[in-house]
Amino acid sequence: MVGVSNGTASTPAYDTIVVGSGASGSIVAAALAAAGQSVLILEAGPRRELAELTSSQLFARRLKWSGAPVEEEGNHTIGHGFNAGFGAGGSALHHYGVWPRLHSNDFDVLSKHGKNLDWPIGYEDLRPYYDAVQSDVGLSGDAEAEIWRPQGAPYPLPPLPVFKQGKVIDRGFRAMGLSTAPIPMAINSIPNNGAPGCTYDGWCDAGCPIGALKNPLVTHLARAQKLGVDIRYDAQVSRVLMSSDAQRVAKGVEYFDSHGAKHTVNAATVVIAAFAVQSVRILLNSQYADGVAVGDRGAKLGRYLMTHPGCTVFGLFKDPTDPHLGPTGGQLICHDHYDDKTAIKDSFGSYQWLIANAVKPNGLLGYANSRPDIFGAELKPFMQRAAKHIGNMLYVGEDSSSAENRILLSDRRDKFGVPIARTIHNAGPEQDAQLAFAMAEGKQIFRAAGATEVWTGPRAPIHIMGGAVMGSDPELSVTNDLGKVHHTDNLYVVGPSTFPTSGAVNPTFTVSALAYRTAEHLASKN
Amino acid sequence: MNKLSRRDFIASTGIGLTCWVSGVGVLLSPQQAQAAAIPLETLTDTQATTLGALGNALVPGARNAGLVQYVDNQLGVDNTLLILKYLGVDNAAMPGFYRTALDSAYGHCQNLFQTTPLKLTAAQAHRWAGSIAGGADSSWRGPPAGFFFFVVRADACDVVFGSRQGTEDIGAPFMAHIEPTEPW
Repeated sequence: MVGVSNGTASTPAYDTIVVGSGASGSIVAAALAAAGQSVLILEAGPRRELAELTSSQLFARRLKWSGAPVEEEGNHTIGHGFNAGFGAGGSALHHYGVWPRLHSNDFDVLSKHGKNLDWPIGYEDLRPYYDAVQSDVGLSGDAEAEIWRPQGAPYPLPPLPVFKQGKVIDRGFRAMGLSTAPIPMAINSIPNNGAPGCTYDGWCDAGCPIGALKNPLVTHLARAQKLGVDIRYDAQVSRVLMSSDAQRVAKGVEYFDSHGAKHTVNAATVVIAAFAVQSVRILLNSQYADGVAVGDRGAKLGRYLMTHPGCTVFGLFKDPTDPHLGPTGGQLICHDHYDDKTAIKDSFGSYQWLIANAVKPNGLLGYANSRPDIFGAELKPFMQRAAKHIGNMLYVGEDSSSAENRILLSDRRDKFGVPIARTIHNAGPEQDAQLAFAMAEGKQIFRAAGATEVWTGPRAPIHIMGGAVMGSDPELSVTNDLGKVHHTDNLYVVGPSTFPTSGAVNPTFTVSALAYRTAEHLASKN
Repeated sequence: MNKLSRRDFIASTGIGLTCWVSGVGVLLSPQQAQAAAIPLETLTDTQATTLGALGNALVPGARNAGLVQYVDNQLGVDNTLLILKYLGVDNAAMPGFYRTALDSAYGHCQNLFQTTPLKLTAAQAHRWAGSIAGGADSSWRGPPAGFFFFVVRADACDVVFGSRQGTEDIGAPFMAHIEPTEPW
């Protein structure tokens, strides 16, 4: 542990401190500033500008986590270096803008199936916040075509177009009696809110400099700055400072600047929004006077770490596919396998297909690395063919909420002397069975679509969730349904850390809806 | 270009390779750094020639595209562009990852052909690379040989196909929002 606050009484310098400038942190900061609060954002990484979002798979890597190392163990490690962002906008700066909603059956998994966990809220509790976010941000999509879509307002913008790759692969889905729809995306299909429509050049992973993809630099972080929120970059928060005379009260945070100088700053409310692993690390490094980590009275802090199992199906088609066109996140979506979590033998959970992702030659998701068995003189002919004729789609599966998958503190320390995070994540036989089923299905779909060669990539971790899960019972969870840490009065966690189950959809829409809900609550306390 | 000392070679700002030439910061592409014989910061000469030979065997053109300069330069920066960043290897452990594996790859070449990587024929180089992909031999030390193969192949693809020129050379439009400063 880093140490214990001396409990010195002090006047809060801010109404609210928000730790992290990603999707959830910037939403809360903007909302509270709009409600008249003084707000400080502490961001571990650097300032980012749209003008530095260069179109390059290499430069894209600068947007990913570059703070304290994260140790990863298990048979399905969480891929922190790929999934976590670093700097203004957090992980949402490089996210792909794929924004499906969780389904109602994602919220009561324990009650219905005796597995995983229940959320303390249901879909209907979150629905108005999904609607508010999509209206505010401006989602593109076709609600009617999403025959599986939970109830909600139609999308404010028309769907993004489907290009050749999507049309080719869609033939396979239709041939197998499966449904597809345009992916609901936080990407402008037409100019909106002063930002242009997407140009479909597939550079989403490098960050969208024109603001067509709704990253925080053009949405809530920009709004927060306009409303006067203070932001300190390169400010690595090490712990929450708890008042020793009133153990339930967080009085502020301690952080290190880029020069290694230690600072403390006080606030009436502290909101941790540092993405899944670092949010938990901060809490684990914070202590009550009796030595228990803040948020760990129920011994659940760090537990239920989740990542979606993902795997890509690739194929070469005779038809041209123009694989460079479209969003990185894909063009079409299929949720036909979502609503029955027990449909597959020896498996459990939902899964989705994200179809026809724009793909580049190089990079971890590029087609060069999809076939590491091809090298030497054979490589260029393959690349030339793939550049015109490759198709791909991504399976996203549901993870289990296992208490054994967790975030701990390592014995190692970062450059400031703060213990780093150690993560343990294993996939079980149910995830293995679902993946095997989905890969067999995916290959069949591609062959039905006319692929002449089909192959699959390795299982990969996509997104990171859990570790500070919300729940009704303080003994079984870390926060309540609003993200307030149990046994505290003014300490909140927002972001994917609080998810009790992963579902099988990209989390940013749900992260945003939950943050709207927490922000509404905090603003009402004024 | 003037000859540089190791001391003159500084870490990259992340846009190309920034080098000091006669006290002036110069932005070079890996290809230009290779042509200018910029001294290496992390890798030894043997490790560098091994990396160049292996990279070229995996992705023809990688050596001339500046693979060695790219990897060596990015091993010395805080927020590296190397794909290894995505693959669960700490920044601090990256130099050791490459050094140890390159030493093993050099030794594996000696074991297979009793010669150095630079002297391999194209057919031998292909067999050497394929053997590394398959796990090399019991003398291999460091990261698993197959994993190292994947990483070097990916690095080589980055410098060959990651630029506008490399992308367009295979017939794919580059379509940049913001054009990368040389080379990416």
